[in-house]
Amino acid sequence: MKAYTGKVLFVNLTTGDIHAETIPDEVYENYLSGVGLGAYILYQRIPAGADPLGPDNMLGFVSGLLTGTPSLVTGRWMAVFKSPITGGWGDANCGGTFSPAIKQCGYDAIFINGVSPTPVYLFVDSNTAVLKDATSVWDMDADAAEKILQQDNLNKKKPVVALIGPAGVKRSLISGIVNDGGRLAARSGGGAVMGSKNLKAVVLAGVKPIGCHDPAAMKTLSKELSQKMRKFNLPGFVKGGIFPLMGKMMGGMKRALPMDGAMAGILMKRWGTISNNTLGITSGDTPIKNWKGSVVDFNHSYYKHLNPEKILKVEKQKYHCYGCAIGCGGITDIASASSGEFTESHKVEYETCTTFGSLSMNKDLDSILYINELLNRAGMDTIAAGSTVAFALECYENGVITPAMADGLDLSWGNAQSIIALVKKMIARDGIGDVLADGVKTAAAKLGVTGQPYVVTAGGVEPGMHDSRFDPLLAIHFSVDPTPGRHTIGSAQYYDMIHLWEKVSWAPPSGAYLKADEYIPSDKLAVKSVALSCYKELVDGSGGCLFAMMLGVNHWKLFEWLNAATGWQKTPDEYMEIGKRIQTLRQMFTIKHNVDPMSYKISPRMAGVPPLTAGPNKGKTVPIEAMMKLHWKHFGWEEQTGEPTTATKTQLGLDTL
Amino acid sequence: MANKIPVVEYSLCAACGVCVTACPFSCLELSKVGIDRYNKVYPVLASPGTCTGCGICAKACPVEVITMQVLAGVP
Repeated sequence: MKAYTGKVLFVNLTTGDIHAETIPDEVYENYLSGVGLGAYILYQRIPAGADPLGPDNMLGFVSGLLTGTPSLVTGRWMAVFKSPITGGWGDANCGGTFSPAIKQCGYDAIFINGVSPTPVYLFVDSNTAVLKDATSVWDMDADAAEKILQQDNLNKKKPVVALIGPAGVKRSLISGIVNDGGRLAARSGGGAVMGSKNLKAVVLAGVKPIGCHDPAAMKTLSKELSQKMRKFNLPGFVKGGIFPLMGKMMGGMKRALPMDGAMAGILMKRWGTISNNTLGITSGDTPIKNWKGSVVDFNHSYYKHLNPEKILKVEKQKYHCYGCAIGCGGITDIASASSGEFTESHKVEYETCTTFGSLSMNKDLDSILYINELLNRAGMDTIAAGSTVAFALECYENGVITPAMADGLDLSWGNAQSIIALVKKMIARDGIGDVLADGVKTAAAKLGVTGQPYVVTAGGVEPGMHDSRFDPLLAIHFSVDPTPGRHTIGSAQYYDMIHLWEKVSWAPPSGAYLKADEYIPSDKLAVKSVALSCYKELVDGSGGCLFAMMLGVNHWKLFEWLNAATGWQKTPDEYMEIGKRIQTLRQMFTIKHNVDPMSYKISPRMAGVPPLTAGPNKGKTVPIEAMMKLHWKHFGWEEQTGEPTTATKTQLGLDTL
Repeated sequence: MANKIPVVEYSLCAACGVCVTACPFSCLELSKVGIDRYNKVYPVLASPGTCTGCGICAKACPVEVITMQVLAGVP
């Protein structure tokens, strides 16, 4: 048996046509599934110039190639579409249980185009696929609507639902797609695309088994990882209070060394992403005060309130996405934090703690826990929403947003109650909230401040909360990935943990090196970033998770799992060629839609122009444009424009698409 | 009532939930079983009455910690 079904479901909401198509084996061998299959379909089926919020845009829900096989940490799905924020390639990645549910219906992916005349949802099980009326749940928040749709479609199998909340319904460009009670495929504006199609939800209740080539070999690899994960522990006396000291040491290091990715496993297993809450602030990894501040501003009297131990105190139980042996998630009791409005929530992530914490100079942890749930239910991206709030606070400081424009809110830095009120206005598109509801880029245009230093984006997208001045390799990925501003592609820290050079012939070994060297454009740095890009596309084609990727190739054995799942017996170099093909096709999509890759360059403030005057990143500047060009050159793309060369397209078999 | 039910060896379970999703009848749920200092939740047979003993959960388990136990006295 294969690890993929070889079938894809297509739904046209304008005509009501629903049909399945068989996908040839060679497509999977060249693109895997997940983001690769998504790119293969969307590049060919979305016409150039299509309105991202119109009928010609196609929204794909794609499972990973390894999802449902006996591999571990491979249960993520991808939403793929033309982004309404950038006008180029868009995707978002999410865990929970939705990815295997796609395959249990007998498909690797579901692609939806057209626009329904009335609100609908798509129901699919092992035998049927049908559109149903969604009028009664259209305006509901994601949590309430999910529960109703599960109950309405309950048979033998409890359905899994991916849906939009009010933010997607109102076509907020920073809205995402929600599943499993608050997991979000948040980035690139997929919620707005779904809302524009009058599609509230996709409800899946299939029970088909998912096969693979060699389950015994896969299980041997899984047992090995599972045994390691059980042993990845710190002594119980080590508490979250140690992180600021660790961060200070990391921020002061002059040299970097390869690390064992086991450390990522240890931190994720115990705390989750919040392990970086205070560590990142003292190291310089965490942006502060809309990227213009430092730990001098958000000092101990502030960051002590974000100690991850405080969040673990309200964690009722851990939460694992499907097939995950790490378990970074949690279910938290937020009754107190929300003054009784909600009972529980998915544990807040580091990204959310940062955009609504240090980026907004807010030290009120309860407000962050509350906002997290508000946004999960609304289906709005917490990175983008928090970044937009921080932008608004600086606009208020500058007098660009006046008290009258702010509907009476005091938008001073760190005013938690005003930030809560502002978020509610953004979700409802009420007053100043409507100005901000589509993110920083649109808000800046509406306010007439485009190009000002406090407009902080990569290609119009709010960046993830890791400071590009702290890690220039991250700055490259923020700027060159077809989904700009994405913190999940690559960084020096990722590279040093993944140990790609131990399996991939052309990946440069990472010995001890001077941190200062990272700030100088070089061929070696560029090849590292190319390797990370290729590998991440493999991960996203397989359904893998970033945090498994960070464990490194000697713990999370992606190449070996892929061979066992498919029987292909490819070498790591051959798999990296697939990653290169996927990434190049994503770039070709963006260029087909007439978007200039150089426009994805990070804002000057993110590159240290002008440099910070205090903190671990004091005086640091990243020569980003030169680094982008070197990355493009080593990818086989035009060095000046970022357009894949004819030779590269031919080599990868993309010239005939 | 099925004549076989899944039994989980929790000390080796990855808490990954694959079995819960694989079950065609949603018989399994994740719940605290009191063995983990991290508050992890593990699969338990929440609906034994609907379990058919099909063994799909055991077959799906990536780390092979589910066995199908024969119930005495059930035909």
